[in-house]
Amino acid sequence: MTGYVVQRLGAVLIILVAMSILVFLATHALPSNAAALILGQYSTPGMQAALEHKLGFDQPLHLQYWHWASQMLQGDMGLSFEMERPVAPMLWDALSRSAVLALSSMAVVSTVGLALGVIAAVWRGRWPDHAASVFTYLGISLPEFYWGLVFILVFGSLLHLLPSSGFVSLSGGVGPFLAHLIMPVATLTLTLLAHVARLTRSSMVEALESMYVRVARARGLPERRVILRHALRNALIPSITVLAQDFGFLIGGIVAVETVFAYPGLGRMLVTALERQDLPVMQAAILVLTAVYCVANLTADLLYAVANPRIRYGGAID
Amino acid sequence: MRERSLQPRITRRSALKMAGAAALPALIKPAFADEGAVLRAAFAIQPATLDPQKMRVGGVDYNYVYNCFSRLTAQDPKLQVQPDLATSWDAAEDLKTWTFHLRPGVKFHNGKPLDAADVVFTFKRIQDKEIGSVLRVNFSIVDSIEAVDPLTVRFNLSIPYADLPAAVAAYQAAIVSESVVDTLTTHPIGTGPFRFVEYRPGDQLVIERNPGYFLRGEPTLDRVIMRIIPEFTTSVAALESGAVDAVFDLPPEQIEQLAKSTVAHVDEVQAGRWQGIIWNCEMKPFDDARVRRAFNKLIDKQAITEIAMFGHAAPTLTPIPPFHPYFRKDIPIGGSDIAGAKKLLAEAGIPTGWDLEMYVPGNNPPRERLATAFRETAKQVGINVHLRVAPPDKFFAEMEGKVRFSADGFYGRATPDLMVYPWYHSTGSWNNTLWHYHNPEVDKVLDAARATNSTAEQARLYGRFQEMLVDDSPGSVIYVQNFACGVSNKVRNLVISPLMLMDFSKVTLTA
Repeated sequence: MTGYVVQRLGAVLIILVAMSILVFLATHALPSNAAALILGQYSTPGMQAALEHKLGFDQPLHLQYWHWASQMLQGDMGLSFEMERPVAPMLWDALSRSAVLALSSMAVVSTVGLALGVIAAVWRGRWPDHAASVFTYLGISLPEFYWGLVFILVFGSLLHLLPSSGFVSLSGGVGPFLAHLIMPVATLTLTLLAHVARLTRSSMVEALESMYVRVARARGLPERRVILRHALRNALIPSITVLAQDFGFLIGGIVAVETVFAYPGLGRMLVTALERQDLPVMQAAILVLTAVYCVANLTADLLYAVANPRIRYGGAID
Repeated sequence: MRERSLQPRITRRSALKMAGAAALPALIKPAFADEGAVLRAAFAIQPATLDPQKMRVGGVDYNYVYNCFSRLTAQDPKLQVQPDLATSWDAAEDLKTWTFHLRPGVKFHNGKPLDAADVVFTFKRIQDKEIGSVLRVNFSIVDSIEAVDPLTVRFNLSIPYADLPAAVAAYQAAIVSESVVDTLTTHPIGTGPFRFVEYRPGDQLVIERNPGYFLRGEPTLDRVIMRIIPEFTTSVAALESGAVDAVFDLPPEQIEQLAKSTVAHVDEVQAGRWQGIIWNCEMKPFDDARVRRAFNKLIDKQAITEIAMFGHAAPTLTPIPPFHPYFRKDIPIGGSDIAGAKKLLAEAGIPTGWDLEMYVPGNNPPRERLATAFRETAKQVGINVHLRVAPPDKFFAEMEGKVRFSADGFYGRATPDLMVYPWYHSTGSWNNTLWHYHNPEVDKVLDAARATNSTAEQARLYGRFQEMLVDDSPGSVIYVQNFACGVSNKVRNLVISPLMLMDFSKVTLTA
């Protein structure tokens, strides 16, 4: 197991270094002239050159990268070009708010998704199965943007049940905190549910027909125990993989959901930085998102190993 | 046995139930039950910077700076110049030396008294190339500025300029103090009715009452929370549910929707922000005056205004808006002279079936409707217009001024000189970016207008200017857009100004 973890950690590190080079090169390849952007429409080429020198843009690219990467490693993400504020505190704030959204959504997606999958498998071919599949397909067939607006119009404008936008931190009260989360989480959940639910259903169907489940039943174990302990545990393995992949979709979905619900997270910060070509914010945000994605995948790999002993023992499938 | 069953038995399930019941009131109770009079206003775009001199984008930036800082003068909703930090001003006979007398006893939010040195520092900062302020061009006529005494400031100009008292009312001319200039972007300090509390990028900017504000009795609100809500569907829903009290700068689609609301209404004023069609007079075939005249005849401003803005705009002759006293009401808006346009195009040798690409900065449905409406009109004279909608940033960086034909738009300016000089004078910055129009007669009129402080003479000169552009306009300024805000019915005395501003200082809230 230790060897496996070290191997996976090594892979994550290599990916992060590669991504940092890619992010650095990609943002430097953008057609815009950062100095012109900072100095405004009436700046002269001379002023731009002076600022480029000050920012170190006239140095060779590899030196610029080295400088940037070593600063990033020390937690110094520089100053936002546009806002002239340090990037790091803004970014950590935004990340923490996005994390609240992402983790709540993942929690809801995994519990509701698995539950729907199990229900559909146990009652397969009957109405709960059909209802679950109609519900999940409806969710996945329309984008987050659409569901977000529908929720806002119904629960915000029409019924006045939930706040239509924004974020309240826990210090503002548990109620308002939760109330602001419900619609964004529901929107993200709806679009992600189908993968998990459908996959859990098919692997549960397979497991329920397997020999060990029949044996368990023959031993007279209660049906509840057969489903949850014997069938579900084995059916979970592919679901974990798909949940990890969903985390990737989630990061994409969060950008749309944060915009619709005016939720001040990392996704919106990145979009604004891209629109305004705010280089330091852009680079830091992309790199942090990459790191989050890597960590999510690593977690999935480790969970997978926990659930499947064959991986834990170094792939010794003889 | 019976006795025991009567006793409350705490199981895991009942404990959870009780915890749930206890949490319910907390869920229903709103946060911050008692926080004084708070106004929440929604803006679609987050502030670019908190440094007044560096501001380039309107919206939340201007509203924050207006409410947290003061300028030498201010402009009221009728665009008349009023005292702000300066209580009075006077000019020498030749209009080249201006003296401003400061209000005594004004303090910055950190307690530092305001004096003439702060004003001198601010204007030197505006003129500093390194700062890159958009106002630098407007103040390039200032040769020197000096503090005569702690409460008197003198501007020495290179040319006679009558509009200086209005020019110093600009948002970017907000007076800052040298002692705190390094923290302007993180903790701005001004002399305005509100002071800065916090700014969370992408989320909200909070300001609170400045108890030491120099105008007694103002402001009446304790706090203003400026929330950033990018989607208008979301902000209008928030307005209707009471989560926000005002929505800044509604697009025409949302104006119509909010008109039906029972809890909020639309406050709408005529404003100077204009949109139009730009042709580059140095590129073929627009270097031919006949082609320019043909296009001016072709564009039906009245119809395009209706199609693009659903009536929430007014067709105009030039950037001088129809509500301005200098606007020439007697000159017909013109347009839709198809036969006349056809004839001129034929004379200029433009073949039927000519393909013309029109570049349009996107993310602006009214402007896209404007372009589509023009395309349909152009068909009638045999021109095939192909719309090329580009992302705004790409358009402004790579296309504006570099393509032959485009749609574009600009915020309104405070005085007729600022409205037209940069666009139509041969040396004007926007003229040399956009359409490269050179007309010595127009130059003469504009130079004369900025050098007189007789209102009658200015009216005559700007009237003449509008007349000169009817036929030979280097682009068509089609309409000036109204400025509309969604406002909750419980908000009183929110002043909406054509300078794209919500003035919070006199607002009161009813239950």
